[in-house]
Amino acid sequence: MATTLSTPPSDTSAPKRSAGRPARRRGELRFVLACLLPALVLFVLFMVVPTVNVFRMSFFTWSGFSPDMRFVGFDNFVKLFDDQQFVRAFQNTVALLVVVTVVTMGSGLFLAAIMTRQRLRGRNLYRFVLYIPNVLSVVVIAAIFSAVYDQQNGLLNGTLRLLSLDGLQQVWLGDQDLVLWSVAISMVWQSLGYYMVLYMSSMASIPEELYEASGLDGASTTRQFFAITLPLIWQNLRTTLTFFVMSAVNLSFVLVRAMTGGGPDGSSEVLLSYMYKQAYTNSSYGYGMAIGVVIFAFSFLVSLLVSRATRREPLQF
Amino acid sequence: MVKIPGAVSACPQTRPVRTVPSLAPRWADVHGKVTRTMRRSFVLAGAAAAVIGLLAGCGADGGASDSGKTTLSVAALEGGYGRDMYNQVIQAYETAHPDVDVQLQISKSIEDEITPNMKAGRYPDLVVLGQGRKAALTETLVKDKAVEDLSSVLQANVPGESTTVGAKLIDGTVGNLNTNPYGDDKTYLMPMYYAPTGLVYNQGLFEEKGWDVPATWDEMWALGDKAKKDGIALFTYPTAGYLDSFFFALLADVGGDQFYNDVMTYKQGVWQTPQAKQALDIAAKLLSYAAPTTVGYANEQDFTKNQQSILDNKALFMPNGTWIVGEMADAPRAEGFKWGLMPLPAAGEGGKRYIATSVESVWVPAAAKNKDAAKEFIAYLYSDEAAKIFAKSNAVQPIKGIVSSLSGENAEFYKVYDDPSVTALVGGFASTAPVPGVDIKATLFDTANSIISGDKTEDQWQAALNDASEKLRQAGS
Repeated sequence: MATTLSTPPSDTSAPKRSAGRPARRRGELRFVLACLLPALVLFVLFMVVPTVNVFRMSFFTWSGFSPDMRFVGFDNFVKLFDDQQFVRAFQNTVALLVVVTVVTMGSGLFLAAIMTRQRLRGRNLYRFVLYIPNVLSVVVIAAIFSAVYDQQNGLLNGTLRLLSLDGLQQVWLGDQDLVLWSVAISMVWQSLGYYMVLYMSSMASIPEELYEASGLDGASTTRQFFAITLPLIWQNLRTTLTFFVMSAVNLSFVLVRAMTGGGPDGSSEVLLSYMYKQAYTNSSYGYGMAIGVVIFAFSFLVSLLVSRATRREPLQF
Repeated sequence: MVKIPGAVSACPQTRPVRTVPSLAPRWADVHGKVTRTMRRSFVLAGAAAAVIGLLAGCGADGGASDSGKTTLSVAALEGGYGRDMYNQVIQAYETAHPDVDVQLQISKSIEDEITPNMKAGRYPDLVVLGQGRKAALTETLVKDKAVEDLSSVLQANVPGESTTVGAKLIDGTVGNLNTNPYGDDKTYLMPMYYAPTGLVYNQGLFEEKGWDVPATWDEMWALGDKAKKDGIALFTYPTAGYLDSFFFALLADVGGDQFYNDVMTYKQGVWQTPQAKQALDIAAKLLSYAAPTTVGYANEQDFTKNQQSILDNKALFMPNGTWIVGEMADAPRAEGFKWGLMPLPAAGEGGKRYIATSVESVWVPAAAKNKDAAKEFIAYLYSDEAAKIFAKSNAVQPIKGIVSSLSGENAEFYKVYDDPSVTALVGGFASTAPVPGVDIKATLFDTANSIISGDKTEDQWQAALNDASEKLRQAGS
């Protein structure tokens, strides 16, 4: 790569006044390219090559070490449809994505609106408190929520007992119907503050006159939210939604791995944790990569759909 | 704003410089072609150097030896025994073999550290790592036939002694599926440490209540009912994965050696036999006696809470191994608590009782550079000198006569082998080519969580096992 760039073009040997300009351009270009080269090489080496490899590997069976890789075409993908555990992990991922996205975005917007519009006392403190979880490492969050969900001395069951609501006590991480929702709650807790702060900042930039004028026209706070606030931060909302879908896929993996290990009996398995298990613990690297391709396609598709479905004419103030 | 005289005159000097890139060619124009080319190659060289520098950080490797010494790289799992004993053994070895330089790499997650290098073709010469770990590195290499045949080590003399390695080993510790994973007479994994894994309980509680340790399953159920009246559950497990030793021993107890091997080698229809049904019946019944908190705590974060229930006299038995003593050393416990370990109750009156024995292995990757030096080092690991160092850290090697030198809880635990009706059971499921989506260990153990919670029935369990076993059988043949 470097050698082709360093060969001097022939026309620079006879510098003419008229040829000076393009030659200089070329020189500039070369300088820029040379500056970009290190970053570009690293990007290709550590981003592009592995991504392409994921796609390539999904057509092979390979244990991860041996020199013999066998090409099996689409076999790995066909097997996915028969794999109950994969279907379950897929369902869990979709359920988490939908529920966590809706709840996080909804309550993030709601809280941001209250804090910016209602001039809540002590809102800086609330903002601080709600933002803290985002700074914590996910493993710490897993430990915190294990303590919250503890069936005997946990915060949740302890509080229920204190309120004499003993009947509502649950084995939050042991009940196969509940465990996924327990994971969802901790995911919301983790990301709520971040998105709230994002929305607060974009809401704060909406000119006050718009609210004053609509207030004079007799618009209620709710009406103001839907007619002024929401349309004006819509572009911001779209961007965060796309980000969130991507990050939720990753976050669910780390949280599930640290908190439940996919259990009990695979009931909280998500796509990425199942991919990890297949690729590494079950020595089916190619199969794991096929799952990786599905995840890639799935997050790509969801992001595209979200982006398409939320497209509006951008409004300016 | 206050205007500072002279500030204006400083400005014009910098004004022509608009952007950095446009400055570069202009400067080159002035100095002509030679300097331009030089400068260009200088920039490119700089860029190349930056790339190489960045990449070099990923490939640092100290494998080569330049002083004529053989560098033997040893990778070991830092288990409950600590790392000190390895340092001492290596020091002793290096003193006796001045021409060998042993490089030790030891970590609690050694797989994560050596795997990237192995994928890049840089293999350690010797690995001390057992099977049954989450990363399953040993299993993966065995499946790949990427482990060196170590049969010759058994015939070799222990350095400095007149006996062979094979003669020093306790009978039955080699030649099983754990050491000879392909079921032939070639040994690929040398047994390094061995430890009994059975049902762990509180001896103090049994003495206090005047209960006898059950010898048959009928006595076990009777004890379970009795304990229930006192608010004590009969059984718990840390996580479902700990049921491995339980199921292996149960299958062998119920069906004998031949049946056990059939299950482990995925014989066709083996899970539909009456013996398999009997084993699952016993397991399901025992799980119905499980402490109610078991499933909720059976995860990576909370498993010690299940272990704690033994210390608190809330549950009687759990499957576990000798490491439990160290793991729960600082935990609070009931008064008069004393660790005990028993094999599974016999399937019938006077039946043979197996005790699952976990064996950590030492092996040599087939792609290692210094295989001969590694084999010699392995032979040394079984010398009296090394064994004494290991035993000081409670790492017990399968060497004849070593048990008599143990003390404390360890002596208590290893006593299970004294009972003539008890036989050591080594090894687990045979290796096959990996089958995507099929993990028979998960099917056998993790389903216990669903059996307790009622999400799956015993019949579904049996059907799933039969299905997984059949798929693995087809992959194996």
